[in-house]
Amino acid sequence: MKALSLALALAATVATFGAEAGEPMNDLEIAHTAYTAGGIDIRYAHLALAVSEDDAVREFARTMIRDHSAVNEAAGTLVAELNVTPQDNALSRALVEGASAKRAELTALTGAAFDCAYATNELAYHRLVNKTVAETFIPAVTVAPLKALLEDALATFRAHEAHAEHMVAELKCAG
Amino acid sequence: MRGLNLPTRRRFGQGLGTALALACLPRALRAHDGAHEVEVHVARFAFEPARVEIRVGDSVTWLNRDLAPHTATADGGGWDTGALPQGAAGRITFDTAGHHSYVCAFHPHMKGAVVVRPRAGA
Ligand SMILES: [Cu+2]
Repeated sequence: MKALSLALALAATVATFGAEAGEPMNDLEIAHTAYTAGGIDIRYAHLALAVSEDDAVREFARTMIRDHSAVNEAAGTLVAELNVTPQDNALSRALVEGASAKRAELTALTGAAFDCAYATNELAYHRLVNKTVAETFIPAVTVAPLKALLEDALATFRAHEAHAEHMVAELKCAG
Repeated sequence: MRGLNLPTRRRFGQGLGTALALACLPRALRAHDGAHEVEVHVARFAFEPARVEIRVGDSVTWLNRDLAPHTATADGGGWDTGALPQGAAGRITFDTAGHHSYVCAFHPHMKGAVVVRPRAGA
């Protein structure tokens, strides 16, 4: 339930962010948030590798580190090529705050309880990020190579979402 | 199975040069002489084509076009390209006939097959 309420809170932040700020996110803010979102998932994965003893969960976590590192590395290369600096913004800060609270919650768990909480959060997190990238970031971004990178990243994150769905189903978590 | 990793774009480019050179040979010569190379693209989390048919002694080269690293790994673990980052290629030469199902070790929903036929007249 906590995972769901966090996801909803973040979704609300995403949905209302433009209205509150008065204008849509610019390319540099979108780049910052996309990079931040990847970094957050890498941190969750390191926590999973430190805590989980479940082979499927550990395999998933290793894939998250491998894939999100590759995407963020490509983003770093693009940002260097374009010679721009991504801009911190309210959505990036909301994601970081939400992730910090979620990590505190996960850190208190072990065994199957941890695995289920991690897996459920991965599913909710990828759903939220994918919706944001597909419906907000890609339509808004103006620089062609950044749009192309986001489209490639979305293909990766969608595979993760499907993988997370499978992981949650396999774990047979109660409630 | 013999595996060969070509981990950089440049080195893969050299391999491609060889493949292009082979393509310029007369058709009859290509059809009967020596081993062939088949290329499988790994893109948008899928193997394309997902099923390839080759003869004993031929090679398959997997070229990863995705941001995420992938592998081509035999279901039984008999052969493995290892991790292929974006732009990298891995080549496996098949020495025995049979049906080889494989997956990406990192994304197991990605599936493919290599069907190896006996060499005619061999
Ligand atoms: Cu893969």
